[in-house]
Amino acid sequence: MRRLLRGDMLPLLSNLVSRRLVISSLPSLPPAPLPSRREAHLWYVVPNELEDASLLQDYRELLSPCEKENILSIKGEALKKCAILSRVLVRTTLSRYTDCKVNPRLFKFRKNRFGKPEVERQIGALWVSSSLQFNISHTSSMIACGITVDVPIGIDIEEKQRKPVNNILSLAHRYFSPYEVQYLASFMDPETQQSEFLRLWTLKEAYVKALGRGFSGAPFRDFTIRFEKSTDSVVPEQPKSEEFRIMIDTAFDSENLTANWQFALVELGGSHLAAICMEKDENMSGTEQDFLKLKVWKTLPYVEDKCMSETDAVKNISGLS
Amino acid sequence: MASLAGTTISISSRPWQSLQAAKEFSSVKSISFSSIRKSLPVIRLRPASSRLQICCAAKSETLEKVLKIVKKQLALPEGTAITAESKFSELGADSLDTVEIVMGLEEAFGISVEEESAQKIVTVKDAANLIEELVKSQSC
Repeated sequence: MRRLLRGDMLPLLSNLVSRRLVISSLPSLPPAPLPSRREAHLWYVVPNELEDASLLQDYRELLSPCEKENILSIKGEALKKCAILSRVLVRTTLSRYTDCKVNPRLFKFRKNRFGKPEVERQIGALWVSSSLQFNISHTSSMIACGITVDVPIGIDIEEKQRKPVNNILSLAHRYFSPYEVQYLASFMDPETQQSEFLRLWTLKEAYVKALGRGFSGAPFRDFTIRFEKSTDSVVPEQPKSEEFRIMIDTAFDSENLTANWQFALVELGGSHLAAICMEKDENMSGTEQDFLKLKVWKTLPYVEDKCMSETDAVKNISGLS
Repeated sequence: MASLAGTTISISSRPWQSLQAAKEFSSVKSISFSSIRKSLPVIRLRPASSRLQICCAAKSETLEKVLKIVKKQLALPEGTAITAESKFSELGADSLDTVEIVMGLEEAFGISVEEESAQKIVTVKDAANLIEELVKSQSC
């Protein structure tokens, strides 16, 4: 900003907005059209694909002073890189949805009273015209950011091959609902059981994150995720069928755990599971409500964006229309 | 930069020559010394009573056990610095790691951790302190 202030006069606000505030040597980002009401957009980055140290340095310059300080206290170069990429992914993704009128550097974030991060719509004299909702998730090998307009969104990603250190049924007994424990116990093959565990885990995480009440605000054992065959009959022995939908049951007396949420579960890049949860549109009726539209892009911000929807990189497991 | 020279405190290269009020002086002292204090090693006083000694030994044993469980869960590369002050988020622990660690701690210490308490844990030390509290209360 300082470089734009000339000695003689302050630039007009319209000049500030229309001029791209390029503070580093980075090129501009392509803008992205806003998701529609039933749509979620997902942008993901693969940390291993960033090998250029000077690009990482440019990315670091996009962060706020507070974020930069947090990065300093993270131990290990790989973790630092992921932390930087995570913030860059959020900032650049949000910027795209403002038609790139708001420089990624300018976004400010706050936490709701339960600690869920939200973006401020008022940035100095600028106003972000759409109510952008976002949620991030990361593993060491992929970072993802989900975006919706107006409706809360939660996402969770996990490496498909992730093997919990503890015994799966012990974990399920400790954290999941009785129905889910029974469901997992029905799988004899340990690999299938592991895979089903991760599916349930990511879906439950995505729900809790969408609700935005924190882990203790929505204890995992207080709600059940289950897979229901689209023909409305429950067939737990055929989990690999793609014709099932994801349902959520919450206790009747629970006022905090609402059930008007829709889910999607996809496989990303052949290596990761991604669960997306967003609020249902009450204006829609029947089974139309249960499926959401998802658009996916793979990105290395300022270098390359690739639309991955409709490709093999995004494999619907359940929930997509 | 303030420097200690024998019994005098000399403040060089600063226009603080005419220090009038004691209040001014003390505020200058705190401005001058705060940056130095950060870099000084922290000197921990040894506990005077034996009760305190046992307490500290127990605490350090708990901490050791916690560190072991955390290191195992996170499969940290050799030489990763991990101390009581380490934050789980800075060690790269994600939500699944965190619940696995909590479960590992519950099993190792024979305690039960509420979701609300688990959520408050930020550092390894927090986990060790929580365990100490729970072991004390749950064994009564």
